[in-house]
Amino acid sequence: MAEEAKTIDRRTLLKMMGAAGASATVISACGAPSSSGGEARLTQTSGLTGSEFGDTVDISTAGPGGNKNWRPGDALKFLPAERIPTSGEAADQFAGLSKQQLLGFYRTMQSTRIWESTMKDLFLAGDDGLYGYFHSYAGEEAIASGVMGALRDDDYIASTHRGHGHLIAKGGDLNKMSAEIFFKASGYNKGYGGSMHITDMSKGILGMNGIVGASYYMAAGAGLRAKVRGTDQVSIAFFGDGASASPYYFSAVRSAVNENIPVIFVLENNMQYMGVPVARHSPAKHLTDYTKGLNLPHHVVDGNDVTAVYKAASQAVARARAGQGPSVIEGLTYRWYDHQGFSGVREGEDGAMRLPYRTEEEVRGWISRDPITRYRTWLLDKALASEAEIDNVVAEVRQAVDAAVAFARQGSDPAAEAGVTHTYAESDAVRTQFFNRKGLVT
Amino acid sequence: MAEQIRKSYGYAQLEAVAWEMRNDPDMVYYYEYQVPISALPTGEVLDLVQEFGTDRTSGSGWPIDEQWIVGATIGAATAGSKAIARLPSMAQFYTVEYVFNQAGKLRSMTGGQANMPFVLWIDGASRGRGAAGQHTDVGAEAIYANLPGIKVVCPSNSYDAKGLLHTAIRDPDPVVYMDYPGVRSGQQPDVPNEPYEIPLGQAAIRQEGTDLTIVAWAPATVDVVRALPEIAEAGISVEFIDPRSLKPLDVETLARSVQKTGRLLVVDHGHYTNGFGSHVIAEVAQLVPGARFSKIAFPDVPGPGSSVMMEWLRPDAPKIVDAAKQLVLT
Repeated sequence: MAEEAKTIDRRTLLKMMGAAGASATVISACGAPSSSGGEARLTQTSGLTGSEFGDTVDISTAGPGGNKNWRPGDALKFLPAERIPTSGEAADQFAGLSKQQLLGFYRTMQSTRIWESTMKDLFLAGDDGLYGYFHSYAGEEAIASGVMGALRDDDYIASTHRGHGHLIAKGGDLNKMSAEIFFKASGYNKGYGGSMHITDMSKGILGMNGIVGASYYMAAGAGLRAKVRGTDQVSIAFFGDGASASPYYFSAVRSAVNENIPVIFVLENNMQYMGVPVARHSPAKHLTDYTKGLNLPHHVVDGNDVTAVYKAASQAVARARAGQGPSVIEGLTYRWYDHQGFSGVREGEDGAMRLPYRTEEEVRGWISRDPITRYRTWLLDKALASEAEIDNVVAEVRQAVDAAVAFARQGSDPAAEAGVTHTYAESDAVRTQFFNRKGLVT
Repeated sequence: MAEQIRKSYGYAQLEAVAWEMRNDPDMVYYYEYQVPISALPTGEVLDLVQEFGTDRTSGSGWPIDEQWIVGATIGAATAGSKAIARLPSMAQFYTVEYVFNQAGKLRSMTGGQANMPFVLWIDGASRGRGAAGQHTDVGAEAIYANLPGIKVVCPSNSYDAKGLLHTAIRDPDPVVYMDYPGVRSGQQPDVPNEPYEIPLGQAAIRQEGTDLTIVAWAPATVDVVRALPEIAEAGISVEFIDPRSLKPLDVETLARSVQKTGRLLVVDHGHYTNGFGSHVIAEVAQLVPGARFSKIAFPDVPGPGSSVMMEWLRPDAPKIVDAAKQLVLT
């Protein structure tokens, strides 16, 4: 592949792609506001030949990987444009949706943001005695919302430890989610799981998961089941940039392609695995490069643009439903808070500003590209919804979240003795923490 | 030594690693995100990355790929380097295959050719509230101890943690070093600055007594220490033994104690079935027929997130007191 990349406009690019018969698409242009970010413009490396899906046209040639010299603040180089494009294929496709659908995307994003923000305040205030892990999804909501918008209720998703947004977008119940954060018996997992393991099998949610990289096989296996049963359900594996290092990743994508499984691998690249920048542990610029030899479509999109995510997801879903196998989608985004919990957070302020592995400027820069604000502006610019309609969604969500907190508070703790149930389907585990008084029955 | 500086648990451990790395330029220390840097209260900083560079350490962190971290470290050890791989708690079983089929077997399979100066340092989890399921497991020592060719140590205080680390690094065989965070809440002895070894297979008698032998290691020792005063109030004289090294196990010290007391209570934070406590009882029972034996352990359930359930499930101090009374007084 040639070293130099040339800058071209979107229309030319699409034409070239059409001519080359490529099915990967440019989803959204990404502007680069910072002086150092010249390389993040819409560019395209040469070569649209090769195997059917071997080449991907990216939103930028420079992904965040492959930079061992990454310094705190470098995430600014990957800032998307201030505004979501109001024209182009993604915009046109999106504008064709019903108002209910358009506001639905806004609703799922706001539900996640407001619910998580409320939980954050409760954790920080301490009055409810909350404990356990909480991995905030703030800043990444467009990916869950865009992907889930392309799914049916009976499709499967396998989520991650950072999965509140996935659950909410897939129809998760805020009351039961809140009660689980409170470890109440009325919670989704009856107090066994907490934030990191919330699951709703009735909605095709195979669960959040505390093990990094656990989603690939889970989702691929669900896709296998759909194939065996002859349904046209599809399955989504969400994962982060950290999890792309798991050997499970390559293994699952390879066999999913080989077995033509209706599964889509959705990478949420927030550029930070815990406190380690992805740039230092991935030799590839885009993590999707890992699987490019496997002959499946790859979409690299602006992860803070719900229209772009939706477009990529709807293509991948259509393909999987039609029995044409898996795709990979990478959304470039940014995590507003620390890996877990709320270090570096000041009350009443969005984002964790005071963390050693990133700069305040970088966090503020990414917050200025808030996927929710950007989408609101886009809706208004395109006159697809009124301010009153949008504000009404926010009011409804706030009401639902307040009700969910009340529901959580009202719930009861699980019985201590429930600790030995649910390990096996039909019998309790033995209470071996106590001295065995029974002895042999003679 | 007259002057002891209070050093943190983590500093004591890194002190051992740093000393060994200084004395063996081939030695390597790889990890996931647990960057090896620690400071004394006096401000002196031990920074292994700065001192030994990013070839001999994982620098600011290696990818979330435990198979790689452990596999590559075993490779370095097979080729001749003293080598440590450090894993986070939730990843403690990803790598059993490579440890089982490579680290544990190569010396034997190669007729003694392969040396394996490999340490698998596992940051254990704890039976704490809120983490739930995949982040609450204790007891991996039992699974690793079952693998041929593997040795297992479970330090329960900073002095043992440093000494056992020196021993594990110098040992020519693979040693699994279980580093449970729960033990940090216990009483910490002073830790010398100089290197020292604690021999494998040497138990520590923490308290001498005549009525009942209690055996516990790693995090369970903290609960036993909490239980001891109340057991004493009940008029029971306890001999409390921490094996420290589980494989090899100091069966002799354990058996002699039970021969004296006639009763053995094992407290195990691992899951009940085939937990290491079962092995302790099996070994002692073969040498001391006629004694009374009991084991209390975490039930065979994944640790739930709710503190209400978790506290009930843990074999904690009140349950230890109760078991001691039942075993001795009934």
